[in-house]
Amino acid sequence: MTTWDSALLGIRTSGDYFLSTFIFGVMFGIAAAAIGIEGWHAMLMSASTFTASGQFAALEFWQAPLPLGTIALSVFLVSTRNLLLGMAMTHHFDGHSLRRRIVWLFLLNDPGVVNSFRQEPEVDRLGYVTGYGVSMMTSWLCSTFIGLKTTHLFAALDLGAVDFAGPLVMATMMMLFFKGSKSPPTPWILSGVVALILFELGSANYLILLGSVATGMVTAIVQVRHAYG
Amino acid sequence: MVDPQTTLIAIAMMALIVYLTRMTGYFIGLQLRHIRGIQTVLEALPGCAFMAILAPAIRQGSLSEIVAMACVILIMWRSNNVVIATSVGMAVLLFGGSYLDPI
Repeated sequence: MTTWDSALLGIRTSGDYFLSTFIFGVMFGIAAAAIGIEGWHAMLMSASTFTASGQFAALEFWQAPLPLGTIALSVFLVSTRNLLLGMAMTHHFDGHSLRRRIVWLFLLNDPGVVNSFRQEPEVDRLGYVTGYGVSMMTSWLCSTFIGLKTTHLFAALDLGAVDFAGPLVMATMMMLFFKGSKSPPTPWILSGVVALILFELGSANYLILLGSVATGMVTAIVQVRHAYG
Repeated sequence: MVDPQTTLIAIAMMALIVYLTRMTGYFIGLQLRHIRGIQTVLEALPGCAFMAILAPAIRQGSLSEIVAMACVILIMWRSNNVVIATSVGMAVLLFGGSYLDPI
C-alpha cells in the first residue's frame, strides 16, 4: 500500500478518536478563554504543540509573570510518553527519507500509534500515523476554536466531572493494546502493579512513570530472552 | 495579564519541547534496533506508560469514576467500539456523580 493510501486509511479509521479529541479540544478552548489567553494565542498553541496533556499542564501555571521554567518542566514531564511512542515506532518507519521522518514525526499521536499496530503488514506505518495525525490535528484545532467561541455557554456548567475523561480515553487505547497483543500482557500488568505501589508510597508522578516503564521494559526483556532461549 | 511577547516565547518553547520528545524517542530507538528481540520490548513501552497513568487514576477515583472506567473496559472488551465506550463513560461521569458519589 502506498504512503498516500495509508495516510488516507489513517484518516478514515480515525473517526473514534476524532470525537474524543474534539471533546478535549472544546474543554481546552473553554479553559484557555477562562484564564484570559487571547484566542489566536490559544489557536497557535494548539497548532504548534498539538498535545492535549501538555497544553492543559501549561494552563495550570498561566499567570503573569509566566514561569517559563516551570511550564517547560511540566510540559516535558507529561510529554515523556512521546519518547516511548517514538521508540515503539522504530521498526515501522523504514523506507522513507530521514527528512520526511523528521518532519512527519511532528504529527506522532497516541491513538495513531496504537491503531497502527492493528493494521495489515502492507500498510505504510508512517503514512498511516501521519494521516491519523492530520485528522487529530483537524479535530483539535476546530474544537479549540469552538471552545474559545462558546465559553459563555458553559459558564454555568461544572466541567470538573469530566477531568477523568483523559484516563477513560487512555483505557480505550490500553484495551486495544491488550486485545491486539501477540505476546502475553505481563509487562503491562506488572507496570500497573508497580505504578500502584509507587503511588501508595507517595512517589512523584515522574517517578511512578519511570518505575512503571522500567518494570515493563525489564519484564519484556525477560520475555524476549525466554522466547529466544 | 501576560504580555504577548512572553506568551509567544512560551508557546514556541512548548512546541519545541513536545516536538523534541516525539523525535528523540524515535532516534533513541534507531540506535537500539540492532539488538535482537528489541522490537517486542520497544513496542511494549507505550502501554507501560499508559498503565503508569491509569493505575493511580483508578486508585484515587471516586465511585462514579470507577464505574465509568468499568463500563469503558467492559464495552471495549466486548465490542472494541471506542465511541460507545467513551460516550457511556462520559455519561456516567456527568450524570452518575450525583447518585454514586457521597455528597
